[in-house]
Amino acid sequence: MAPTTAFQAHVYRSLPETERSDAIVNRISKAISLGLLKVGERLPSETALSEMFGVAPSTLREALSDLRQQGIVATRRGRSGGTFIVKQPFMSPDATRRWLQETSIAELRDLGDEHAAIAAATVRLACERAESHEVGRLLDLARALVMSDKSEARAHADSRFHIELAVLAQSPRLTNAEIRLQAETVQALWAPLSSTRDPERVAAEHLAVARAIADDAPEEAQRLVLQHIRHDIHHLVDAKLSLGYPTNQEERP
Amino acid sequence: MTASAPALKAAREIAAWTNALSLDVHEFAARSAELWSGRPRPLSITRGDIARLEELVGAFLETHDFVVGAGAIFSTEAIRSKDGGLEWWIRRERSIEKLEFDLTPGGERFYDYQNMPFFASASRTGEQTVWGPYVDYLGMDEYILTYSAPIQLEGEFAGVAGCDIRIKKLEEILMPTLRSIPGDAALLNAGGRVVVGNSGAHLVGERVRSTSGGRSLIPIEVPHLGFSLLVSP
Repeated sequence: MAPTTAFQAHVYRSLPETERSDAIVNRISKAISLGLLKVGERLPSETALSEMFGVAPSTLREALSDLRQQGIVATRRGRSGGTFIVKQPFMSPDATRRWLQETSIAELRDLGDEHAAIAAATVRLACERAESHEVGRLLDLARALVMSDKSEARAHADSRFHIELAVLAQSPRLTNAEIRLQAETVQALWAPLSSTRDPERVAAEHLAVARAIADDAPEEAQRLVLQHIRHDIHHLVDAKLSLGYPTNQEERP
Repeated sequence: MTASAPALKAAREIAAWTNALSLDVHEFAARSAELWSGRPRPLSITRGDIARLEELVGAFLETHDFVVGAGAIFSTEAIRSKDGGLEWWIRRERSIEKLEFDLTPGGERFYDYQNMPFFASASRTGEQTVWGPYVDYLGMDEYILTYSAPIQLEGEFAGVAGCDIRIKKLEEILMPTLRSIPGDAALLNAGGRVVVGNSGAHLVGERVRSTSGGRSLIPIEVPHLGFSLLVSP
């Protein structure tokens, strides 16, 4: 359907090449920070990439140059050359602080609402559809959280657990939704800010969800996962408040 | 209750199609094994080996247009490299492309293939196997079914060779046969999970836990794969 009003024509206008370049940088950075692309991995050729993203070669080169400047990828010449991922772009504490300051409590709550909707359906389907040996892998992923002591590793373990729930639900769409939600929140959740999350407690919550799925108890699994997400959102709100809204006493001279 | 004639005919057709694919996968595994025959253990996987394997994969994809990816995977005990050997290609528009996997245990995107059922089961039984439907988000990033057959070298298990089929494609292939069955019917895997159903009654990925209510299971006669056809009265 062709746009009928001037507003619609504006909304649906073709994307300028600069926005496309930024979108490529964001897409690749997010995929790496989630561990979906790994350090050391070679990106497809420039021709293949510009074809897959559907952008002009010059736009793609601009995106790659941006990623190079950020130190995320490096390009090597020669026979075994190509563009390689060299760094994990973990949000710096400053960037996390900025994100928390820019994101309102209403938006954080809404993020939690969407995650709750996705996760509730996911765990119910996982109960129905998972086989017992698959639940074993889920339990292992739940335990992985306490094995690592770096916030980046904890963030990966956390997101892997949630993504695995969607894999057990046998749903590519729920998996993609979960990957996107994890990309939005997991780094802020584990960022070393004023208050850090207790990995033992988060792991215990993950284990409880995994056990409920193993016991084929959809009501219990749903209740636990919703409670878990509420804790996550509370943590983000607390982290935000500790940064952005000084208490009255602090404000007074 | 006894299954209807159309259901039995459908089961035979699905078995014929699956057997043909099984034989081809078996042949593909045997030809992959030949690349390493007579070589000392632990095996080394050279650039030349990978180039020759890529030719085999290219030929397999050429003759099986419904297959999206194929390759060979080696047992870590059989090969020299401690990082594992996962040589897998996927079909692109005009070419095939090698997939990269994280094979470092504990890595962020570790593809723990030795514990993946299509590998573990072939390793345990020495027989062909099929796994899926599953969301392969660390590998193909697709909803797929994986067929695999063991690579045997001098009678010893060294790995598997196999191929991936998108569930979407399998649905297209099997639906005409399933639709020839009057009433609700579905192809189930060995674990009782729906692979393709002929109606909304049985949706792919769901597990059928009992065959009560007059439903019956017709085995699909393909060795080792455990497929069956669920038919409702």
